[in-house]
Amino acid sequence: MTGAGAADPLIPTLRAVALRVEAARRLSPPAGSAVLHSIVEATVALFDAEAASIALHDVAADRLVFTVAAGDQGQGVVGLTIGPAEGVAGYVFSSGQPLALSDVERDARFGRTTAERTGYVPRSLVAVPLLDDEGILGVLEVLDKRGAGASFDLRDIELASVFARQAAVAIRSSRVERDTATLLGTVLDAVNRAPPDDLDVEPIVAAAVAALDGDGAEPLWALADQVARIRAIEPAQLDLVRDLLAVLVTRAERGGASSRARPRPR
Amino acid sequence: MSGPLPAWSEPFAADHRATLDRTAPFAAVDRGWAFGAGDGAGVVVAVVDSGVEGGHPAVGGALRESVRVELDGDDAVIIADDPTDAVGHGTACAGIVHALAPAATLLSVRVLGTDNRGKGLAFATGLDWAINNGASVINLSLSSRSESMYATFHDLADRAYFANALLVCAANNVAVASYPSLFAAVVSVAAHDVRDPDIWFYNPHPPVEFGAYGLDVDVAWKDGGRIVATGNSFAAPHIAGLAARIRAAHPGASPFEIKTILAATASPPA
Repeated sequence: MTGAGAADPLIPTLRAVALRVEAARRLSPPAGSAVLHSIVEATVALFDAEAASIALHDVAADRLVFTVAAGDQGQGVVGLTIGPAEGVAGYVFSSGQPLALSDVERDARFGRTTAERTGYVPRSLVAVPLLDDEGILGVLEVLDKRGAGASFDLRDIELASVFARQAAVAIRSSRVERDTATLLGTVLDAVNRAPPDDLDVEPIVAAAVAALDGDGAEPLWALADQVARIRAIEPAQLDLVRDLLAVLVTRAERGGASSRARPRPR
Repeated sequence: MSGPLPAWSEPFAADHRATLDRTAPFAAVDRGWAFGAGDGAGVVVAVVDSGVEGGHPAVGGALRESVRVELDGDDAVIIADDPTDAVGHGTACAGIVHALAPAATLLSVRVLGTDNRGKGLAFATGLDWAINNGASVINLSLSSRSESMYATFHDLADRAYFANALLVCAANNVAVASYPSLFAAVVSVAAHDVRDPDIWFYNPHPPVEFGAYGLDVDVAWKDGGRIVATGNSFAAPHIAGLAARIRAAHPGASPFEIKTILAATASPPA
């Protein structure tokens, strides 16, 4: 194998990587975890709740993973994984139907397994799906409004759903970033497998980046810049950002990875 | 806490109910005529959900058969299931139906709890089974958001309608497209904000035509327990139970006629 022979198939992939990185940079999507943290913290503050948490669906493992939490009683759940139809969070995830429960402590059996793993059994909770137009990504749970007799009502379900919608947008954006990282990792793996003497990475990267038109006047980037500005205005327009981002990604994929350099899940 | 009600519940909120007012053309149809002595006898109600705990006191021994959907590659197959409920939600729905229509026979179709990747297919397969196995009222407190399943669910909603099976569907709490709850052939239900199972509202502005008891409902839950629950998915089985009673009192009524009777006997919006 010659150096050139090994390098050529990588160029389209690197081009796709560069395109996505640039798109992500211009749109400056919220860093997934930080935004999710801010969402659960805002949820706790607004509801005056003991805890709030977000569980995300790990598609490869088909498990719900509690990723972030806030509130005095929230931290024990982080890292917990459950089946996609297990318990209340699983029901909400798999059915798409939000629900609120109260008087939970009246039934000693409720949530015992989960409680033993988190150290906290709520009196009441609301659970809503993180959903957008493409499907359900996970679940937002809010536990125990403080105050005597406080339980969650229909308005709370709606309010929690608004937060969940924001979380879904943030997650979609961060997944584009993660997809980019996966793609880059795949390419670098391929580069690493080639004998060092046989492959000079720098010309490949240079060729890939040169193939990108970095001029801000180019319609694609002008569009990305416009969208980035719109994104700052109000939450409803985040939908537009996501849709346009999807278009950008699709375009990157069409112009990018060959079948020989397809990104692999890791 | 202030803020809007769940999108589909909004018409049923106290300060919005004036929009439900209409010229009722069915003054002669009252609840006495609609339900008669109807206790659901002879009516089969399917609960398509997370399973039903057959031994739960709230189900009262009314559960006749339990099946679940399993995925076999790209296919979904129906197999016999234990009368159990991993979550409690299906048992909650079955308990509500049984409380309203104690003589109705229940079928449990478990479509949740298998492989998440095929859940739209599992849901459709379970609904198809219920239509083909004698259910004349089918409670669906779940819906699919998969655009790829739109045609499948539309076909199933039509087939149910033509097979004389009434689909009672919980509207999603957020105003997004979900199937089959937004199809015209089904009875779509959201929760109202009155803690009273005898109150249901008709909304003359579709797609969500009925508001029913779904706030702080004392429901059956897993392992023989009970819990207080809120959501559209607990409103739907109230309408399903009423539909079973109408079916028992008027065995010849079609889904369209049952929907009309439910509208005619709805609570005044004031």
